[in-house]
This record gives sequence, structure tokens and C-alpha cells, in this order.
Amino acid sequence: MEANNVILTIGSLSKYFGALKAVDKVSFDVKRGEILGLIGPNGSGKTTITNVVTGALPKTSGTVIFEGVDTSSLKPYQIARKGLTRTFQVVKPLLGMTVEENVLVGSLYGRDKRNTDMASAIKRARETMELVGLEGKKDFSVSDITLPDLKKMEFARVLAMEPKVVFLDEVMGGLNPAEVEEASILVRRLSRERGLSIVFIEHIMKVVMSISDRIIVLHHGKKIVEGTPQEVVNDPIVIEAYLGKRYAKEANNEG
Amino acid sequence: MLKSKKLTGLLLLIAMIFFILLPRFASGYSVRLITGIFMYAVIAQGINLMSGYMGYLPFGNAIFFGIGAYITAIGMNKGLSFFLAMPLAAITAMLFSLVFGFMLLRLRGHYFSIATIGISAALLGVVQNSEITGGAMGTTVPLITLSPSVTYGYFYYAMFALMVLSCLTVYLVIKSKFGFGLRSIKANQEAATSMGINTTYHKAVAWAISALFTSLAGALYAYWMSFIAPAEVFDIMIAVKCIVIMLIGGAGTVLGPIVGAFVVELVAESAWSAFPEYHLAVLGITIIVILFFVPKGILGAIGDFVKWRELRLTRKVSV
Repeated sequence: MEANNVILTIGSLSKYFGALKAVDKVSFDVKRGEILGLIGPNGSGKTTITNVVTGALPKTSGTVIFEGVDTSSLKPYQIARKGLTRTFQVVKPLLGMTVEENVLVGSLYGRDKRNTDMASAIKRARETMELVGLEGKKDFSVSDITLPDLKKMEFARVLAMEPKVVFLDEVMGGLNPAEVEEASILVRRLSRERGLSIVFIEHIMKVVMSISDRIIVLHHGKKIVEGTPQEVVNDPIVIEAYLGKRYAKEANNEG
Repeated sequence: MLKSKKLTGLLLLIAMIFFILLPRFASGYSVRLITGIFMYAVIAQGINLMSGYMGYLPFGNAIFFGIGAYITAIGMNKGLSFFLAMPLAAITAMLFSLVFGFMLLRLRGHYFSIATIGISAALLGVVQNSEITGGAMGTTVPLITLSPSVTYGYFYYAMFALMVLSCLTVYLVIKSKFGFGLRSIKANQEAATSMGINTTYHKAVAWAISALFTSLAGALYAYWMSFIAPAEVFDIMIAVKCIVIMLIGGAGTVLGPIVGAFVVELVAESAWSAFPEYHLAVLGITIIVILFFVPKGILGAIGDFVKWRELRLTRKVSV
């Protein structure tokens, strides 16, 4: 039962850039329908893991098992068609197209073995835009909408692909606190309603803590801690990685 | 939106009827000139699909024109009828584009353009130096057995049909799922591939469609001229001219290549008759002026104007 519940297994995954070990023998599981927080200071390897798992970068070693199949040597479009996809830290809208057309591309392509004729793809794109609250902007060119709307658009585009696992790479970056609140409610709701597994990469600690079922902390490309949000915030290793040794000692003395 | 669509449809219908009736009252010179314009519009449409919609500028697309012309010439000299030689030419060009496409289209953007120039030069060298093509001197093509005046009409309508077919194909391709894939590649290849789009496949198929129409134009050209030479049909300037045509008409619009072909050819023709010594300079300056003031091309500018007016109207309504 426990084994069936795991959808994605990352086994001893490494990615080296020359002598730099950007990701160093990282292993973790993603369970069906969970929100897994992936945190760590800048340069700890979060985005590199996303790039390797989704096929944008070749691995150095290790395995990525998605639904029982090793996907680590597949191309990004093949991985996306299996239902494993991502958003980008820096938004990548399809310029020269409208909001609706952007979402429609996700709906037309995306996961395979589903209905992707034009009529049902348009229907799905419209439903997805409504879900994230973009229906009023559907005919806007993507160069004419604000950053929060671009992030919503990118999220809608990914949802229209109907994936099973999504890596959300800093989707909250550049949003104000009210927008962050709105976005986290949306992410939480979608994960519950659709049984979507989300790997949530974020800097804003408060958001990660409130949204995640489990958290993995990376530091210098290595996994240092894995646990529930409560376990992670109180872990001296995490505090040291984020704030330095002095704070870790103080936290220990207080605790 | 609906109103401007109806208007476009009506204008297209009038234009179709006009061009169908034109050979009845126009001079032989005009008919020949416009046949050439149709031909350039077809080649420009092939470039438009690759560049205007997909963002890959195929600088060496004249190779398909040359292949189309030469396979037709060789086939007909070996005794095939034109209607057998022409599809053979198209199939050869498409196979060529697929083989080289899967290799070259892994290169991104400008590197692809440069590689196509390389292929273009290499193929010219091969054709100039082989026996079967007749070498650098060129080769003749069996003459069409019709009276001269009927011949003009024949190639006029054939080229016109090819142009309409190429526009219709591009229109249908762009409306389809495949077309959204192409446009995504132009917009952001990384995002496209992350959404499940097999970019190499899309690019290769688009180039094959481009090769199909360009080679058919070459096939008709060979039969029309009844004599072809390598330096003429493999001339890189054919592609360069058609890139200019695409830019002036409006890259990424279905009718842009036709509008561009008429503007460029008519300006070139009048510049040539009015300024025989420096017609190329006049043509060059005209192109620069047009691109300076309407960078999106003529149809791009009209499209922007229509959008702007609609936006103004909806704002008036909502206020």
C-alpha cells in the first residue's frame, strides 16, 4: 500500500557542473496528492533538481522513477506527456499570443492519452482559466498583463496539461502578501480536488510551512533534513544552514 | 471582429474573381509579370511558415526551388510527363528537407539559418559539376506543346492555383493543433518543450511543407522557362528576395506573402523602367523606408490598426 502511494522516486540523483556539485546524491519520494515543500538557501540545488527531473538538463548519475518508469534519459516533451511537468522561476509566457492561446497550448499538448481535439482543448482551457480567475483576461495579449496574472496564466497552462506531478518553481516570487495568500489557497485546493502531487519550491518560509505536507531541506546540493513542517523549523541543522552557527546555538539554548 | 472578417472574405472573393478574369483583358507582358509574382508569393509563403510562424529563418530555401526545377527537368528529359515529374520533384524535395531537417533543426535560430546557406552552396556545387544535371551550362526542358498565348494562360493559372493552395494550407496548418505547436516554438522553445511539444518533429514537418510548395514552384518554373541553369535556380538571392517580400507583406500573416510579392515586384518593375541605371538603389531605399515605418509589414500594420479601433470601440461602450 505504502509503495503504491509513491508516484515519483528520486534515487541518489546527482548533477555536476564541472567541479561544482549542484545536486549531490539526493533521494526522496513524492506521494500521490501531497504537497512536498523543497526549500534551501540560494544555490542549494532546488531549480537544478527541477531541471534534471523534467529533462531540461541531463543528469550526472542517479535515477528518476515516475510511475514505475525511469524517465531520467527521456526528453522534456516525453516527460511532460507522461504527466510530470513544471513551471519556471522566471515566467516564460508565449509572447505574441493571448492568455487563452497560452493556456490552450497546454491543453492541446500536455499529458497524452486524453482528448486533445480542438473543441475539447478549448473547453478545458476556458475551465482552467476560470479556476485560477483569469477568465476576464482571456483575450489580452500576454505582454499586456501584470506579473501576478502572468503567474496565474503559467499555473493555468500547467493545469490545462492535466499533469500528475508538478514542480512549482517559486510561483510566489514577486507577489505581494495578499496575492501570496490567494495563490496558496488555490494551490492547496487544487492539490486536494484533483489529487495532484505538487513539489513546491519556495523561498518564503511562512508559505512553505503553511502549505506543505512534508518538507525537504537542501543545502549545497545535499538533502540535509526531511520531515513535517514542525520538525523542520525546529531542526538546528536547518537553522544553521539558513542563519548561521550562532543562531543555531541560541535556538538550542532557548529550546 | 466579425465585421472585419466578413470584409476580408468579401475582398478575397473580389480578388479571386479579378485574378481569374485578368488574362482575358491584360497584355501578355502583365500576365507573365503576375505569374512571376505568384511564384514569389509561393516561395515567400514557404519561408513565412518557417520564419513568420515558427521563428526559423531558412536562408537556403532556394535549394528546394532548385531541386524542384532540376528533378522536373531531368525527369522530363528522361521521358516522364510533367505530371509525373512534378510530384517526383516534390517528393525528392520533401525527403531532402526531412533528412537535413532532423539534423539541422537541432540548431537554434541563426545557426540554423547559417547551416541552410551552407547546404545551399554545397548543393549548387554538386549540381554544377555532375553529368546528369548538365553541369554549370544548365539544361533544357522539353517545350510545352501549346501556342504561346495559351501557354501564358496555362502557367498563369497553374501558378495562381499553387499560390491559393499554399495559402490555404498555411491557413489550415496555423489553425490546427500543429500550428499552435509551431507558434509556441517561435515564442519560447523551452516553454514549448516543457509543455509536451516535440520541437524537432514540428520543425522538420514544417520545413517539409515549406519544401513541398517551394519545389512545386520550381517545377512549374522549369517547365515555364524551358531552360534552367544551376546558378539561377539555386541562387541564394531567391530566398533573400522572398524574405524581404515576407517582411514587407507581414511575417506571420497568411496573406502577407502575396501582398509583399505584389509590392516588391511592382516597385522593382517600375524602378527598373523609370531608373534603368540605379533601379536597385531605388528598390533598396523603398524597402528600408517601408520596414522603417511599418516594421510588422503591411498586413501587420493593418491588423494592429483594426485591433486598436476595436479596443477604442469597446472602451467607449464600457465607459
